[in-house]
Amino acid sequence: MVTTEEIEHVSKLMKIDVDNHSEYLEKVQTMISYFDILDSAGVESEEISMPEISIEQLRNDEYIPFDEKLIEKMNHYKGTYVRAPKM
Amino acid sequence: MNLKISALEFVEEIKTGNITVEEFTAKTIERINQVDDKLHAFLSVNNDAIDQARTIDKKIKSGENVGVCYGMPISIKDNMCIKDTKTTCASKMLENFVAPYDATVISKLKKQDAIFIGKVNMDEFAMGLTTEFSAFGPSKNPWNIDHVPGGSSGGSAVSVSAFECIASLGSDTGGSVRNPASFCSTVGYKPTYGLISRYGLISYANSIEQIGPLTRTVKDTAFMLNLIAGIDPNDNTTIDNKNENYLEGIESGIEGKKIGIITDMIGDGIDPEVLTATKEAISKLEGLGAICEEVSLDMVKYSVAAYYTITATEAGSNLARYDNLRYGYDFPVEGYEFNSYISKARKNFGPEVTRRMIIGGFVPSAGHAGKYFLKAMKVKSKLTKEINEAFKKFDLLIAPTVPIQPFKIGEKIDDPVSLFLVDINTVTANLTGKPAISIPFKIVNGLPIGIQLLANSMDDKLLLKAAYALEQTVTLPEVPI
Repeated sequence: MVTTEEIEHVSKLMKIDVDNHSEYLEKVQTMISYFDILDSAGVESEEISMPEISIEQLRNDEYIPFDEKLIEKMNHYKGTYVRAPKM
Repeated sequence: MNLKISALEFVEEIKTGNITVEEFTAKTIERINQVDDKLHAFLSVNNDAIDQARTIDKKIKSGENVGVCYGMPISIKDNMCIKDTKTTCASKMLENFVAPYDATVISKLKKQDAIFIGKVNMDEFAMGLTTEFSAFGPSKNPWNIDHVPGGSSGGSAVSVSAFECIASLGSDTGGSVRNPASFCSTVGYKPTYGLISRYGLISYANSIEQIGPLTRTVKDTAFMLNLIAGIDPNDNTTIDNKNENYLEGIESGIEGKKIGIITDMIGDGIDPEVLTATKEAISKLEGLGAICEEVSLDMVKYSVAAYYTITATEAGSNLARYDNLRYGYDFPVEGYEFNSYISKARKNFGPEVTRRMIIGGFVPSAGHAGKYFLKAMKVKSKLTKEINEAFKKFDLLIAPTVPIQPFKIGEKIDDPVSLFLVDINTVTANLTGKPAISIPFKIVNGLPIGIQLLANSMDDKLLLKAAYALEQTVTLPEVPI
């Protein structure tokens, strides 16, 4: 069973400011409880298969210029810099 | 003017000069203005569409080369980037985001002179299956506006079904093209994983999602696939389809093909009407010379849990980029410490996205990954083995696209597990990378039922042939709006 504290902890890690934890708690708990069905799948000995792409299949690691200054599209662009919150 | 024509009919009408692109585009916009207040398929309409239509008409008149779309009005799910156009993902987080580049599918369609008539509604960041989770309000099912149109590509399906465009592009992570196609009585296609580039599609769960067309007919889907499929250096997961022509031979039939009936998708929880429709579809396929036998995929019962575990994990990672500095809405930075600013700004995500991000942080975390994420990945592997085994015996598989008919708006919104289970028949194709299609099959009590066919990876052409054959056996009433 997921606890309120665990959800608060995960929310903090995910950088989500949730006002009303209990509102989220009930549904998140219901959802995660449903995932318990995975315990009965009997897949403990199963290998996880992952697709493999050889390096030759990847595109060349070359700089592709973009025709616009993307920095100018940022929210807090100030002409020569981007304003960010203090660290 | 008849807006109810297929993509291929539209091309013929333009080529023969029976209609002009401008006339058709103007009539389409008039239709949107007429019905979209009720349906809410569109989040934005292209104000330059008429000018673009005139330009294409001029090219046709002067004998210049014209792309094979001939100005066809196509709607685009609002999670695909069109340069200099708002791409909101139906989220307050991206309400003012203007895409600086075209998605590969968009560049390909632009080259063929398609007109993007507008961006269409969806569940926020494609997380949902009803469009009720759009930050800008739900779309309505044109067959009965009290009912959901399905999702997450709900706006795509509504716009095609209600004749607000000729075709649409959606994205399918767990059924998000096929589910709304089934609920709105359109064709919906999820190709083999890698067949269509995802470059410029706003990521939700990269390892399983695909862009797919929604159209009025199976031939139109094949036509669209011809234009947008193929390898793309900007998406390393794309595969070379050797410029396959999906329209060629589409009418050649399915005589002698073996079709497996997935018993795990027609069991508990299926509506009796949907079960009856499925049996009718099977018998029609048998009438066309196919051999249908039952097959079981044991992992299907765990597939929804595996799907939500994997997608929430990938979403948690993908959505970490929304810090409101690189993308986002107007929210001043002054007076905030870095982390608290990002946390505050991210409150603009809607409740479903927030829930899935919390789950996406929880299920792969140290201490819980073994119980959830790793098991989900193992279910995915075992399900893939099972379906590959099935395709050694069968050419195609069949099941209803959705085990229930469209339900009322609000009916399931507070019951997440009941909503999850609506996906049970569609997630298998995503988890295993197989192509799947929803074909409009029946209208019962005024609401549509779609039938799903699946094929082995890269057997997209065979799948379209079978879908076309089934489509030819049915005549459906016209949408009542």
